[in-house]
Amino acid sequence: MKSLLKQKVQLAFGFAILTLLLIGTASYHWIAVSEESTQWVWHTHEVLSNIQDLRLSMESVESSSLEFVLTGKDSALEPYYASIQKIEVDREAIRSLTVDNAVQQSQLPAIAKLATENIQRADRLIQLRRTQGLAAATAAMESGPGDQIKDDFRAAAGKLQSEEQRLRALRSVKAERYSSETKIFLILGTLFGILVVASAGWSTARDTAKREVAEAKFRGLLEAAPDGMVVVNQGGEIVLLNAQAEKHFGYSRDELLGQKVKRIIPEGFAERLIADETRSAAEALAQQIGTGIELYGQRKDGSRFPIEMMLSPLESPEGMLVTAAIRDITTRREAEAHLAQKAEELRRSNEELEQFAYVASHDLQEPLRMVASYTQLLSKRYKGRLDSDADEFIAFAVDGASRMQRLIQDLLAYSRVGKRGGELVDVSSEEALQQAVTNLRGAIEDSGAHVTHDPLPRVMADDVQLTQLLQNLVGNAIKYQKPGVPLVHISAAPDGEGMWLFSIRDNGLGIDPKFFERIFGMFQRLHKREEYAGTGMGLAICKKIVERHGGKIWVESEPGAGSTFRFTLAASDAAS
Amino acid sequence: MSIEVLLVEDSPGDVRLTQEAFREANGAIHLHVVSDGVEAMAFLRREGGYSHAPRPDFILLDLNLPKMDGREVLAHIKSDDGLKTIPTIILTTSNAEVDIVKSYQLQANCYLTKPVQLDAFEDLVKSVNEFWITKVKLPQQRLAG
Repeated sequence: MKSLLKQKVQLAFGFAILTLLLIGTASYHWIAVSEESTQWVWHTHEVLSNIQDLRLSMESVESSSLEFVLTGKDSALEPYYASIQKIEVDREAIRSLTVDNAVQQSQLPAIAKLATENIQRADRLIQLRRTQGLAAATAAMESGPGDQIKDDFRAAAGKLQSEEQRLRALRSVKAERYSSETKIFLILGTLFGILVVASAGWSTARDTAKREVAEAKFRGLLEAAPDGMVVVNQGGEIVLLNAQAEKHFGYSRDELLGQKVKRIIPEGFAERLIADETRSAAEALAQQIGTGIELYGQRKDGSRFPIEMMLSPLESPEGMLVTAAIRDITTRREAEAHLAQKAEELRRSNEELEQFAYVASHDLQEPLRMVASYTQLLSKRYKGRLDSDADEFIAFAVDGASRMQRLIQDLLAYSRVGKRGGELVDVSSEEALQQAVTNLRGAIEDSGAHVTHDPLPRVMADDVQLTQLLQNLVGNAIKYQKPGVPLVHISAAPDGEGMWLFSIRDNGLGIDPKFFERIFGMFQRLHKREEYAGTGMGLAICKKIVERHGGKIWVESEPGAGSTFRFTLAASDAAS
Repeated sequence: MSIEVLLVEDSPGDVRLTQEAFREANGAIHLHVVSDGVEAMAFLRREGGYSHAPRPDFILLDLNLPKMDGREVLAHIKSDDGLKTIPTIILTTSNAEVDIVKSYQLQANCYLTKPVQLDAFEDLVKSVNEFWITKVKLPQQRLAG
């Protein structure tokens, strides 16, 4: 934009200069022409005056010869000879002045002849006066062709004069015309020159104003920016900055202009602009454009603070500049640190909770084992040997202890999912299912269930936990059945997001949708103990296993129409 | 010929259960009981009040014991030339991998966890009896000692 303006200004002034040059040249030409015309007028005057002189000289020849005839004094012959000479001079002057005019030149021989005749006649008269005296000379004068020559000469001179007068009139008109044309041209040319210069000036002023507006806008934009803006040249020197940047770094503008940017951003900025053998400066910059670079800023007092910087190139007449938008991210960093601290606290709290669950269940197990073992021993040794109440009481104690043992074992299993989980490795989910089915053999045989499956993929999982997950889900499918043959089918399909979607479908009781969420909670049961035994931990363990693997688990079901439990697992890197 | 077994167990309930189970499994077993590690070493080395203690055919050792725990007892036994040939069976409630690994590193002869159900516990004791007393060939150092 700047260069365009420059071009425009150059063009306008160039045009103005050219116009003035033209006007100057034309004026010079017109003045020269006009001067020439004037000269020609003067020339005509000169010719006319010479003709007049010639005439006077002719008359002088005649009058001085006449005077000699009458007086006989030789003194009268002085003007006579002078006039004869003068006639020659005048004739030559007329000839040379009219050398370019054929008409006038053609008259000259006649004039010359008349002049010669006139002089010859006067000579003859002078001779007569000397030799024969006054009377003879007077007689010759009166009888001679004197008047005839005089008339002829007058006519010839008149011709010459009238031609010159005609020329003079013609040249005067021409000269006058040239003169007035020159005036008009000068006035118009000057006006035009003024117009061109004025319009160039106006255009420049307008463009300058426009640029000033644009610059004001740019400056306004720069100042209004919420970020600190620092413009740096390729030499790493600060060429421009806004108020926000002053505030960030604690310097006044004047303290930073022209300074190295290293002063406020000690590391990582200037280095990014440097060209090296593998890249040019522009490429070096291009690599940084648009990416948030996290660095440290240094205030005037030497303290440092975290910043995020976005770079963008700025073309300018002084070469490529770099605009850096700088944001103080102290607050964000603090928030991040705070968040990280909270996350760490949460993680520790979770870990502690898990540890607590583990230790509590583990330590509870010991005394409980005693209770269970001894009630069982009691039942074994004394059943039928005490009264029926005692048998019943012992049975309740045995049952309670057994249930509590299962609860504690499940709680332990649950806490172990996170605590004791192995690495997630490439495993065959089909093999894990086979292991689960083997573990469930008793239940499958007892129920007469048909457990079928499609080919199952390799996934990233903890083998033991995957087996437990499938075992719990298949076990549930067999367990919560209505009369008839339980059918369980396991399949898997890609979910389109790089995960495998597993489905365990049964033809069992089904689940009311309002319990879909609840069944995955700890110790949640939907059935009475007399109907279906269990601790309500199975699906909670499943959920924890799936979530530990980065997947999701949910159920789709209709009461009476069976259930389909679905979960997702990451596809194996090797087998996807 | 009676079979001498040393049970190192601090829980009286477990002691009694183990006694009951062994009585059922094999009447010929003579179960000696000590309740901490220090006492166990005294028994094995016939120190203090155990000067007439028999050399056991095998040892049932709990890991969590007062004064000196089962791991230390195991380390002492297995670094003692006179005792290291006695089969030492870890019998504990701990399922922890670290305990299992540590025990075998200290050359425990086998590691058993106490089942929670009485039936299972009785089965385990029967298996121990069956294997360690009936099947296994042991050096006859008892006669020499």
